[in-house]
Formats: sequence, C-alpha cells, structure tokens
Amino acid sequence: MRRITPARFPETLAFLMRRRALSRIGAIGALAFSQQIHSTSYPEQRQRIVCIGGALTEIIFEMGAQSCLVGVDSTSTFPKEASLIAQVGYARSLSAEGILALAPTNVIVTEEAGPPGVLRQISAAGVGVEVLDSGHRYEGLIQRIVRLGRLLSFESEAAILIERLNLEWNQLQASSLTHSVIVATPRRVLFLFAHSSSRLMAAGTQTGAHAMIEYAGAINAISEYSGYRPLTPESLVSARPDLLLMTDHGFRALGDLTAVLQLPGVMHTPAGQHQHIIKMDASLLLGFGPRLPLAVKRLKSEFMDAFIS
Amino acid sequence: MLKMHNVMKQLGLRRFGPYLLQIRRAETVAILGPNGVGKSTLLRLLSGAYQPSFGLVCLNDRPLNNWPADTLSQNRAVLNQSQDIVFPLATGLVIGLGRVARAGDAVCNQIVASAAAMLDVSHLLERTVDTLSGGELARVQLARICAQLWDVEDGFILMDEPIAAVDPGLQDLMLETLMRFARIRRHAVVAIVHDINHALRYFSRLILLHTDGQLECVKSGLEAKHALERLYGIRLSCLHDEQGDLIMFPLRRNKSKNSQFF
Amino acid sequence: MKLVFQRYKNPTFFLSLLLVLIFGLCALRSGAVEVNWNHWSKLFAFGHSLLFSEGVTHPLDGETYVLWYLRIPRVLLGVFVGASLGLSGALVQGLFRNPLADPSLLGVTTGAACAAALTIVLISKQSMLFSFEVRVWLLPFVSFMGAFLTCMFLNIGASWLMPGSIAGLLLLGIALNALGVAVIGFCTYLATDEQLRSLSFWTLGSLAGANWTIVPGLGIVLVAVYLWCRTQAQQLNALNLGEATAASLGVLVPRLRWTVSVMVALLAGVSVAFCGVIGFIGLIAPHLARAFVGADMRALLPISMLLGALLMLTADTLARTIVIPAEIPVGIFTALLGGPFLMLLLHTKRHRVE
Repeated sequence: MRRITPARFPETLAFLMRRRALSRIGAIGALAFSQQIHSTSYPEQRQRIVCIGGALTEIIFEMGAQSCLVGVDSTSTFPKEASLIAQVGYARSLSAEGILALAPTNVIVTEEAGPPGVLRQISAAGVGVEVLDSGHRYEGLIQRIVRLGRLLSFESEAAILIERLNLEWNQLQASSLTHSVIVATPRRVLFLFAHSSSRLMAAGTQTGAHAMIEYAGAINAISEYSGYRPLTPESLVSARPDLLLMTDHGFRALGDLTAVLQLPGVMHTPAGQHQHIIKMDASLLLGFGPRLPLAVKRLKSEFMDAFIS
Repeated sequence: MLKMHNVMKQLGLRRFGPYLLQIRRAETVAILGPNGVGKSTLLRLLSGAYQPSFGLVCLNDRPLNNWPADTLSQNRAVLNQSQDIVFPLATGLVIGLGRVARAGDAVCNQIVASAAAMLDVSHLLERTVDTLSGGELARVQLARICAQLWDVEDGFILMDEPIAAVDPGLQDLMLETLMRFARIRRHAVVAIVHDINHALRYFSRLILLHTDGQLECVKSGLEAKHALERLYGIRLSCLHDEQGDLIMFPLRRNKSKNSQFF
Repeated sequence: MKLVFQRYKNPTFFLSLLLVLIFGLCALRSGAVEVNWNHWSKLFAFGHSLLFSEGVTHPLDGETYVLWYLRIPRVLLGVFVGASLGLSGALVQGLFRNPLADPSLLGVTTGAACAAALTIVLISKQSMLFSFEVRVWLLPFVSFMGAFLTCMFLNIGASWLMPGSIAGLLLLGIALNALGVAVIGFCTYLATDEQLRSLSFWTLGSLAGANWTIVPGLGIVLVAVYLWCRTQAQQLNALNLGEATAASLGVLVPRLRWTVSVMVALLAGVSVAFCGVIGFIGLIAPHLARAFVGADMRALLPISMLLGALLMLTADTLARTIVIPAEIPVGIFTALLGGPFLMLLLHTKRHRVE
C-alpha cells in the first residue's frame, strides 16, 4: 500500500493560489474547450503542472522548472524538495476533482496512471493530459526530456540536460569496453522484488530491472519469461545467479543480510555462497530518470567489486 | 377428504410406510405413538411437506402435487413443531401471514383481530415475537392457523404437538377453543399429541403408530385402552372424573423378576 | 379497533429520506475544488441546459464543470450504489434468514469481479475490435453475467445438495467465493502491466468513475428492482417463519429463492461493474434499519436502501476530502465503519447469534 502523505505546508499555499487560479483555469478551460486545444504553451503565463511519475518529476527538477509544479504523485520522492509539493496520491487511483482543484494547465503522466476514467474526466475539463511512455531505454529517457522541454517551454534547459547526460552515458559506454576485457564471461544477476519473505518475485525480460542489469554489463539470470513472476526455490537454484540485486525497501522487508541468505534456495546459488547481495534505492535503480547514468555507473562498480573480489 | 394410498417414504436408511388412511371432513384425529416412530413424518406426508417416495396423498380426490400452492394453503393449514423465527416480527404481522397467499385480502385486519381475540392474545399484537413466552407464542401460532382458515369451510388443520410448550392451565383452554373453531367451520383437525387424555377428550379418532411401523386406527374412548397399552408397552388404569370424562393414566411398572434395576 | 398492520411509511422513512437529501447536499458542497455558491444562478442555468436542451453551447468554466460533470454524478452514484448494496443486503439476509449474510458471502460480488477480471485479461488484448462505446458497456454487462451465473449455479447446486436447505447454499457460496478469488489471482498473474491498472481499480473499489452514462443506468436498475421487491416483501416475511411453514402458507419457496437471488445478482453485479468491490454496506445497513423499523420486510427494504445510501455518502465524502488532493479508496472507509460495527453487533447480540 503506497504511503499517501496529506499535503501540509503547501496546502495553504495551494489554497491561496487556488482562488486566484480558478479564474485562470476558467479562462484557459474555456479557451481549450472551444478551440479543442489540449496542450498549449503560453509563454507569458507560467505553466501549472501536475506530474505523475517519479522520473518525470526528477527531470523537471533537473531542468530547473520546478516552480511550474503544483502537484506530484506518491512516487515523486526525489529530490527532497518534491515532497513539499501537494500530493495527489497513488498513480493508479487518482482523483479528478483533487487534481482539478490544483488548477493545472497540464497533467503529465506515465502510462501507469489511472483509472482511465479519471484521466478522461480531467481532459474533458479542458486540462491537457500528456502521457509520456516510461520505456526502459536510455533513448526513451532522452525523448521524454525533449518532450518535457517542449511542453514546459524549457527547451534550452532540456538541451543542456541532454548534453550532460549524453556525456555521462558515453563515458559509461567507453569504460564498459575496457571492463569487458577484464571480465571474461558476463555474470548472471537476478533481481529480487520482495514484499515479504513469502512473496518473492523475480524480474524476467522486458522489465526495468532487466534493462539495468544489461546496461551494467551483466546478464539477467532469468530469461524464460517476461515481467515479474513469483520465484520458487527451484527456479532460483536453476537460474544460478552470481549476484542478487534488490531494492532498499525489499531488503528491509526481508530483514537483514542473514535473512536474505536464509531464504530457501539462496545458499545453493553462487550468489548466496559468495554472499553477493546488492541493494539500491528503488527510485534510483528503476526510475529511468536523469539519474540513469549515475545508477548504471554505481551498479557497474558494485558488480565489479563483487566479481573481482 | 384427505387420503393416503399406500404411501411410503424413504429417509436415508429408514423406511416409513406403507400408510393407508383417510381423514374425513370435520373429523378430529389424534396421532399417538412412542418417540421416533415417525409421527412427524406421517404428518409431513399428509401436509405435502414431504414428497412420498411411493404412493399418493390426495386432498378431495386430487393429488397434493396437483394443487397450486396458494389454493392448497387456503384449504389446509399446518402447524409445525419447532418454530425458528430468526428476525423478530410483530405478533400481528405473524398472525396475518397466515393469509399471505391471498391476493387482495381486504378483510385481513379484521380476521387477524378476531383470531387474536379468540386466542386471547389481542394485548400482544404490537409486541415482537421474541419477547413472548412459550405459551404466548404457541397461542400466536394457533391464531395464525385460525386466521388462515377463518373464512373457509371443510378445511384441514394439521398440527404437530401444538400445546407442548403451554402450561397445564392453558392447555385445555387452547384445545377447546381450537375444537370449537374447527367445529363451526367443519374443519378436520389432525394433531400429534403426547397426552393420552387430551387425545381422548378432544378427538374422536386415534391413529396409533407402533414401533414396528404399523398404523392402527381406533375410536377414541374406552375401546382404545388395550390398543394404547400395546402401543406404549404400559398398563393403563381407567377412571371417570367428577365431570364424567374418561381418564386413563399409566400404572407403575411392577417390581417383577424381569426387572434388573431394583 | 386498532389496525394490525401499520402503514410502513412511518416517520422513519421520511426522516431517512430527509437525511439522505441533507447528506447529499453536504456532499455536493464538499470537495477539492472551491465552488462559489454565490454563482448559483449560473450553475443552475447550466444544469437546466444540460438536462433539458440538446447540447452545451457555451464554454464551461472550472467550477461548473466540476459541479455538473464530476461532483453531482459522483454524489448520485454514491446514493445509488449505497442504496443498491443496502437493498441487496436486506434481501440476502431475509432470504437466508441469517443476520450475518451479505451478497459477498454468497460469492456473488466475487463472481462479478471474476468475470470482469477474465474479460480484462483475455479480451482487452483485442481492444481494437471494439469501439469505445462497446467497451464502456462490455465490462458492466460481463460482471452482471458473472453475478447472474453465480446465482444460477448457487440455486441449482443447492437443490441438488440438500433440498430446501439454506445452510447448504451458504456453504456453497463460501466455496464459490474461494474459487472466484483464485481466478482473480490467476488473472493478476497473467495480466500485463496495463491490464493490472484496470484490475487494481476493480479490487480497490471507488466511485471515481461516475459519469452521466453510468448514473442513470444504475438508477434505473435500482428503481426497477425496488419496485419488484415491494411485491415480494410479504413472501419474504413468510419465509422468516421457516421454510416449511412458508411453504405450507402457499409461498413457492424455490421460486422465491431463485428470483430473489437474481435480483441480488442484478444489484450487486451492476454495483461491482461500475465501482469495483465495496464491502460491508450490505451487512450494516439492514442491521441499522432493523434497529429502527423492525424486521418487517415492507419497511425494512426501503429503509435499508436509504441507510445504505447514507453510509455510502458519508464514506465517499470522507474518502475524497480527507487527503485533498489525493483520494483514499472508499472501500477502506466502509471497512473502517463496518468492521467495528460488526464487532459491536456480535457483542450486543451474542446471546442470540450463535
């Protein structure tokens, strides 16, 4: 169950802005409705954005456009300033009236957002709803930055960000070429998604975890299926992972390192025998936001430490 | 006329029947027998609650199956032994439910009031049935039966131990009221009773159900003494009370050499 | 001579109706968006043109849109869903003569959700085949069919198992519940990420999808079922005396059981279709109603409806105003209200309920 934090400080701010903004939404809404325009940039009026998706919020902060943000969802936890913005709750159960009360000009969502009816209600109110595919590719990330830049009229800042990220990314690609000489056979990594010790899921192909593992130069130990599936001890052993990757949250749900090692089947894998367990913050590892190069870099170095030692 | 032709019923491993009997118009019949012999089953077969595995039960020469349920309920009323009323309804409503199968029943309220007055429960009409004592509830149920057949004649009233929960002070009153009600309208009354004397006093015919399943019909009165003795395996002593009514009561068992306890 | 059957339109009915109206108005006034009620003439003029003329000619402004397209449908949906659940709860409790019966106990709501889950996972892959309108009505129809099939199965199965027994039906319902939950779990396992979005909406239960297509549909179903129920109220009263007694009184018990089951399936199925699974209202509303008007079905059914609507309004208004601008799934509130109430009920009636 996602933690829903009620807005505290920003709510009074929002309340004060709401009244003034309501006439604004009226004007824009009327204009949008009559002209069937869904996303327009009014350079002279500042945008009011509700952003659903932690990675998208991060991009907006990186571009310096955070003053446009009037609402974020529960996954927008980075950077810390994001938690000061009004919380619209869990991405999959949004509230039309709640979002409209923030008087946004645009609502930017990932494809996860729902329920679909609520999104329809929001766009019928004349507020533009932009769906930006999350994707698990670096190229997708760049495309999202481009689109966001265009939406928020922050094209130049977007371009600067893209340039910086490309630089970091190319450095990573270059270093991996040298590393691949050292590591003869790519290692097998298994990503464990843990609610509790009885509900273990493993990431197959076509998941964010799979993409990260590949970017970091390893192989996903699970290749038989796509998506997340419950993990049985037999499949864990037959996957022969050299390393187990988890999120911080999942690690804490299981307890500590001893608890992880005591999971059925783990001690029969190379990862368990050599105690190669790595954890990372979820939004960093799986966010596919502007910290993607950083995440890949950190993952790589952790892999190297584990495999060399 | 309520007739049973060679009716048999299989319940699990037990077989009841074959039964052959007739209940004539305006007749009063008491069913007697030891516990567990199948009296309730017989009554349920008579009322149509049980479908016979074999044979037919006919009311006025028409099999019970062929009677539409609402018409049947206007010709015969059934009072079951255990009443499990889950949600507490008002007494007046319960009495009136006797007439639930009649559509467009304009006289319902009047009949309910009359039936309640007859059974002396008029002061209980507003109360819910879960607040009534056992005796009051028994009278209310009887009032329901009476309301059900209030405005018809030649009906059949089938009852399973109607006065079991009633104290002795009221038992006779209830039976008298019931019999008067039935006599005026020429209803037949078939009741399972445990008290021999009630059976003798108020019913004209006795149906004795023996442990071996045999059904025996005798006229109510002194003639029934030997049959009753055989039925219960006891010895009866007959007397006439101050008012001239016949009373039979069981004698103590003899301390004979057959007894192993004393 | 005092009338034995009181007219059931006693003060409680009008009081409950009044309360529903008051709560409804309060619900209309609460919400995330500020609606300036000084502009009431503009707001009502819009409403008039919405209801009585063909289209909306002038452009909408924010508060008018929110009031007429979001809040009013949502409040109406809350009233109708609450009333449906309350009514179906009263019917189920009368049918099974069990104070703790609930449509979800029979497996009916689970059957509805199960059918919807199967549709989402299996059919929406070919979503290109269906136009938008078909897809809007496909899920409600399918979930009603699921509830209906569950009821048919319950009736047929119960008559095979133990003729005329109500306990058998209840046990069968519990078994069907377990089966339905398993199928939903399997669908969750099979579902892609996108399908999971729809599925989680169903299981959470929410009134967020209220619009002017759904609300009249549910309203019509509710009114039709209620009018039918009124004709069966006395028969249900007779059933309360015992199945054998009711049969001897001329009530066709199997037919009554079948028809009441269908009506329950209709109400519960359509509610689940539009709002997902919302629990406890079908259990609590009849109990509260019984405390006020007694167990006479002729009074109990309308009061259960009204109290169900009240409970739903309260829960939904709380759900969407406590953590503005977010929203808590309404099922959590009904459980928060319902769980302790059930415990209180068990405590006070413990000598009677065993």
